[in-house]
Amino acid sequence: MASVLITERQRVPRPWSLKKMVSKNLGLLFVAPALVLFFIFVLYPIFYVFRASLLDWNGVSQGIYIGLKNYITLFTEDRAFKLSLRNSLYWIFLTIFPQMFLGFILAYILNSRIIGRNILRAIFYMPAIISPVVIGIVWQRIFNPFGGLISDIGRTTGMNFLIQPYLADPKLSIFSCISVNVWRWTGFSMLMYLAGLQGLQKEVMDAAAVDGVNLWQRIRYIIWPMLRNAHLTLILLGVIGTLKEFALVFMLTRGGPNHASEMLPTYIFLKAFPLQSMGYASAISVVLLLLALGLTLFLVVVLSARFLFYE
Amino acid sequence: MVYASKQRQVFGKLLVCLFLIIMVLIWLTPVIMMLVVSLMPPDQRAPGLGGLLINKVSLFNYRMVFNDAPVIRYFRNSLIITVPSVFLVVAFASLAAFAFSRLNFFAKEFWYYLLMLTLMLPLPTLIIPIFQINKSLHIYNHYLGLILPYTALGIPFAIVILRSFFSQFPKDIEDAARLDGCSPVGILWRIILPVSWPPLSVVIIWQFMISWNEFFLAMVTIESNDIKPLTLVPLIYSGQFMARPGAMFAILTLITVPIVVVYLFMQRYFVSTATGGALKG
Repeated sequence: MASVLITERQRVPRPWSLKKMVSKNLGLLFVAPALVLFFIFVLYPIFYVFRASLLDWNGVSQGIYIGLKNYITLFTEDRAFKLSLRNSLYWIFLTIFPQMFLGFILAYILNSRIIGRNILRAIFYMPAIISPVVIGIVWQRIFNPFGGLISDIGRTTGMNFLIQPYLADPKLSIFSCISVNVWRWTGFSMLMYLAGLQGLQKEVMDAAAVDGVNLWQRIRYIIWPMLRNAHLTLILLGVIGTLKEFALVFMLTRGGPNHASEMLPTYIFLKAFPLQSMGYASAISVVLLLLALGLTLFLVVVLSARFLFYE
Repeated sequence: MVYASKQRQVFGKLLVCLFLIIMVLIWLTPVIMMLVVSLMPPDQRAPGLGGLLINKVSLFNYRMVFNDAPVIRYFRNSLIITVPSVFLVVAFASLAAFAFSRLNFFAKEFWYYLLMLTLMLPLPTLIIPIFQINKSLHIYNHYLGLILPYTALGIPFAIVILRSFFSQFPKDIEDAARLDGCSPVGILWRIILPVSWPPLSVVIIWQFMISWNEFFLAMVTIESNDIKPLTLVPLIYSGQFMARPGAMFAILTLITVPIVVVYLFMQRYFVSTATGGALKG
């Protein structure tokens, strides 16, 4: 009896033991490399950009603290900033929805047994992997009113309305950029919808087919609602993708003419580097950051969108 | 009645075909145009029909680009930046995803969601800080100044993909291995990673593409032409090749080929993971 008590007592864990702490938290060691990089290149920059946004600063010399003055200028006097906010809105709606719509139709068609479907899938997905720099230069040529593809087609067929300065006209430029972006990401939506379609229970589809529901009803009332998670993932990725779009617009128009196709990232670049006002550009960055966090948190928390919809 | 519905079916099929043909034309034409213009012979001043018609096929532009621009060097620079970042993302994200899916430790959920913050941040908001941080860490105008940020920004998405795969892995096998004296690192390296090719291939393609194509950070933090990656080449030579669209388009083709090759090479895994994951419901 006594011996049992003694062994029991020995087994009582000491309140603090280094060995136990280490073995219990071994996982932290595994996560450490990722976290270290995260702290240096993501978390610290967030604090950095908030602090820099309160400075009058050219990026080289010591900055001068000016409080919220950058933000006041930004929201009261800056026309280019307003244009870039407006263009972001256009971009979000006019990219995400056409790209989802076309992507869904392609996925629906290419999910059936059709000849050459793997080649077709690859063709539609290809723009998503090509560098936006390449895409920008190629489409710049296509849009060129002098010898560009669209205008040449207009000239040869007599459809003269096709001859337009697509990128140089302030009314058209942002929409031209957006249409290139739809071209770029439709294949990606198609791939997501293909994954979603293949995840649908076959029984549901068969039952729907037997019940004498026609094709339109089947898509509208059964398939489309069942792909809710795919829709949400595409909207989430579309919103973030819009807010970080830089290279495509930069190569196509540099945000011009006269800021007509300016996006927040191109405006950050313009202010921070060619114009050397890093404090002001940091204030734009903070607005972009809050916009991105707000929109994605809304999508993730309220609508429960996920980055991987099949998780 | 039967006849009518058959007629409608044929009509539907024709409509689908027409739609596909139009879409393929729109999607393929820019790529074909890029190739055609790059193959334009030197004596032709401008290609016909917006860049789709050339007199004959010539490799002159490629020869000129290889002679006038150190393409091989830019290519090597891109590899020096891309390959380590892919490697580091795979290594660090595997470790972290393993810990997040199979181990318990202090404030595990907190660390996970903190890392996921990265996915919600557009890179342009971090451009100014990273530019300044690179300067103070003395990695401005240096390969590491791109490799490390690309790795940091790529890890979280890789963790999401790998974690969802690792957590499906049966606990029994892991327990058996542990009883036989296998350490956590051993379990990850010997048992889980060898069967994780599908998600790993997604991570590899994705990270390769991001690092290979990234433009903004490269443009503002790499100054000397000696270490610039391939994506910056069109910018460097835009003046010089202004009058020679063929040469410019040859460069564009050369930028595009490696990424398409990597994609085609790993595509089989890529699509099957997306679908395999979906089958799970």
